[in-house]
Amino acid sequence: MSTQVHATISEETVREISDANDEPEWLMETRLDALSNLSELDMPPVIRTPGRDWTNLDALDFDSLVDPLNAAEEKDLVGEGDVVVTTLAEAAGDDEYADVVREHFGSVIDPQENYLTALSTALFTSGTFVYVPEGVNAEDVTIRTEMNSRSLFNYTLVVAEDSSSATILERQYTGEDTAASEDRYYSAVVEVVANENSHVQYGWLQNLDEDTYNYSLKRGSADTYATINWIEGNIGSRLTKSAVETTLDGSGAESQIVGAFFGHDEQHFDVNARVWHKNEHTTADLVTRGVLDDEARSVYEGVQDVGTEAWDTSSYQRENTLMLSDDSEADASPKLIINNHDTEASHSATVGQVDAEELLYMTSRGIPEDQATDMLVEGFFVPVFEEIEIDEFRDDLEALVEARLDE
Amino acid sequence: MSSDQDHLQTTNTEDRFAFKNEHEAALVSEQGLNEETIRLMSEDKDEPEWMLERRLRALKLFQEMPMPTDWPGQPDLSEVDIDKIVPYIRPDVEIREGTDDWENLPDEIKDTFDQLGIPDAERESLSGVGAQYESEVVYQNMRDQWEDKGVIFMNMDRAVQEHPEIVKEHFMTSCVPPSDNKFAALHGAVWSGGSFVYVPEGVEVEMPVQAYFRMNTEGMGQFEHTLIVAEEGAEVHYIEGCSAPKYSAFNLHSGGVEVFVGEDAHVQYSTVQNWSRNTYNLNTKRAIVEENGTMEWVSGSMGSKATMLYPCTILKGRGATDTHITIAFAGEGQDIDTGAKVYHNAPDTKSTIESKSISKDGGRTNYRGLVHIADGAENSSTAVECDALMFDNESTSDTMPYMEIEESKVDVAHEATVGKIGDEDIFYLQSRGLDDDDAKKMIVAGFIEPITEELPIEYAVELNRLIELEMEGSLG
Repeated sequence: MSTQVHATISEETVREISDANDEPEWLMETRLDALSNLSELDMPPVIRTPGRDWTNLDALDFDSLVDPLNAAEEKDLVGEGDVVVTTLAEAAGDDEYADVVREHFGSVIDPQENYLTALSTALFTSGTFVYVPEGVNAEDVTIRTEMNSRSLFNYTLVVAEDSSSATILERQYTGEDTAASEDRYYSAVVEVVANENSHVQYGWLQNLDEDTYNYSLKRGSADTYATINWIEGNIGSRLTKSAVETTLDGSGAESQIVGAFFGHDEQHFDVNARVWHKNEHTTADLVTRGVLDDEARSVYEGVQDVGTEAWDTSSYQRENTLMLSDDSEADASPKLIINNHDTEASHSATVGQVDAEELLYMTSRGIPEDQATDMLVEGFFVPVFEEIEIDEFRDDLEALVEARLDE
Repeated sequence: MSSDQDHLQTTNTEDRFAFKNEHEAALVSEQGLNEETIRLMSEDKDEPEWMLERRLRALKLFQEMPMPTDWPGQPDLSEVDIDKIVPYIRPDVEIREGTDDWENLPDEIKDTFDQLGIPDAERESLSGVGAQYESEVVYQNMRDQWEDKGVIFMNMDRAVQEHPEIVKEHFMTSCVPPSDNKFAALHGAVWSGGSFVYVPEGVEVEMPVQAYFRMNTEGMGQFEHTLIVAEEGAEVHYIEGCSAPKYSAFNLHSGGVEVFVGEDAHVQYSTVQNWSRNTYNLNTKRAIVEENGTMEWVSGSMGSKATMLYPCTILKGRGATDTHITIAFAGEGQDIDTGAKVYHNAPDTKSTIESKSISKDGGRTNYRGLVHIADGAENSSTAVECDALMFDNESTSDTMPYMEIEESKVDVAHEATVGKIGDEDIFYLQSRGLDDDDAKKMIVAGFIEPITEELPIEYAVELNRLIELEMEGSLG
């Protein structure tokens, strides 16, 4: 590994972070374990084909990017009614929730799954804990993170008890006061535990500044009849490597993964949507749309994995990329792995440019070409916008798309 | 299947492939691979120095390159131990370059090809036939009408001697260099036999030419090399058939195919592969297509224990076209990992990939494909369609396409579906008086029809027979 960050971060650093949070012993041990195993762990998987690395994470200079003791963020955690929204640090030390945190922390994502999850586990600052008690309906949980330092490590744990429902909207952006043109690193791990018959809708809007390198892994486990719906919008960052994943563990579980990205300049988005069907009667629907302008580059990997026990599976995947510039590049790999024949599965992927006929239609009606193109790009995103149930999220995303078109 | 083809069904297809014939070889190399083996082979073939040098260079590359093990979900190759392979067996045939009369062949070899039905097919519907037994081509013949027009169809070893200038230019240089992958390197070191096809400018060979490859000895490796050069405006259809009897030890087939499609030329390459279930089938096949040329790959992968085959087309000239049609059928213990690679390196190029796979009784099929559109390949389009049919829950069906798009003025579409045989379809057919087995056979025949209709009728019938055979006795 070219990055020797594990050699420069000491056990002392991790203890210092943990002590500042007043964390229980087990959590500090989990962090220290992750740190001590760093050198053994690989980077998250990226696609390599002959002569082409779709994303090169090894080239990132973590040594200079990671500065854990000076982490600075502003966090808003909002939840109304019976839902609990607090920092992980606080919850882990709280009499009522300590056991819940301990039971579920690391249960969906192994802290040592790869080098970057381990780094996040060892170094996360305060973290977020969302707990939705049985039967509770939590409409508007919002988590807002403003990044104000060279590096920031986030960790979010959501536990939805039986028959509860929650709508969670998480936003990341960079604060005004950060040093300009200094490379930054933002990393997030999100675990969602959706118990029987629960319904979790999780929106994620990333608009970090374009000096920031971003790694995020979001994974949910859906129990019997539970639903996890993800929406991810990627607008900001210099480079994003992001995976949104659901394991459909219980019978009748469902998941939808909706993604949208809009890259310009030299942005690089490597977005992955993955679902594992592990039980019978499960359903998944993966929809991603992205637009690339200037020299932006996108990488998409989608995986639908149907296990041997997943009888009566329905699984669909669609990915569409629109290229606005000749200098942009788009790579896509939608994969199907089917081990049970009682499956209905399909996937499709397309790459193309703005339709010439549609453009002609509009310009012939007097709309200037620039404006017509903008309208077609907005129209391209409509199938994704339509899947978004959270109005606030849809409005935000639409506004960001418009703002980018106006640049 | 219609009744006028019934005569083709009189021979039991399984017996036709599974039989073993005893035959004494003239030269059998030792197991394993070293410089000495290569020198021995090359000397036995009386090769020019430059070919020996290419072999030795390939051997060095082979020894340096690691086994491919890091592909997601790739077949298990741990059993493939090159040191246990007999790379070269020269059958005892009096005429070293093979014969053009079946009667000149020893009875055992002639019987083998008779049982496979090759001489019959030659009489009826082919322009030329080559037949390879172990490492050497034993029979080669071409109709006079094509020879008169300057078409060359001869075994590869002879071409090295008789057409050194063409072979030297094209043999494992720009199309499939030995450095391409470990098995291409192996192939470059130990290749033997195969076909050389040369079609001069403007000549259209109307009937297909065919080569048949047969491995008869346990533990051997077959490494035939096929080189096809179609000059401007030429047209040819080349068919390759493969089989081997089943033994307990593994066999290795690692063929190399290089196709040069000239301006406005048209080459179709069809394969029906029915290697025995102990054969590892690891091939490298590639075509380079010039302006407005067309390359068509038609592949049926029925046999082998594991197959890794991704015919590749490089669309080099403006307006070049590629078509891939592949069908894979994996039964018990089989891992058929196949697909297509297309590089769009020029504007106005077009590719169409159609893949069908069937898996049953624990077999695994995988479509693994790569489409690359280079910067500047404006107005290129590609359409990929993969359909998979699964019979039971022990089987696996994977689809792993990769798309790399560096150009914006393109039209790229990939689609895939996976499903089981529909209960409704079966019910419909049953309600019209078919029993369950026949209904399933009919659905499968319909599923693969896009492939069979691309093949000459004898091959289509053969493919259907093989699939029926696969399905017999295991439905219910």
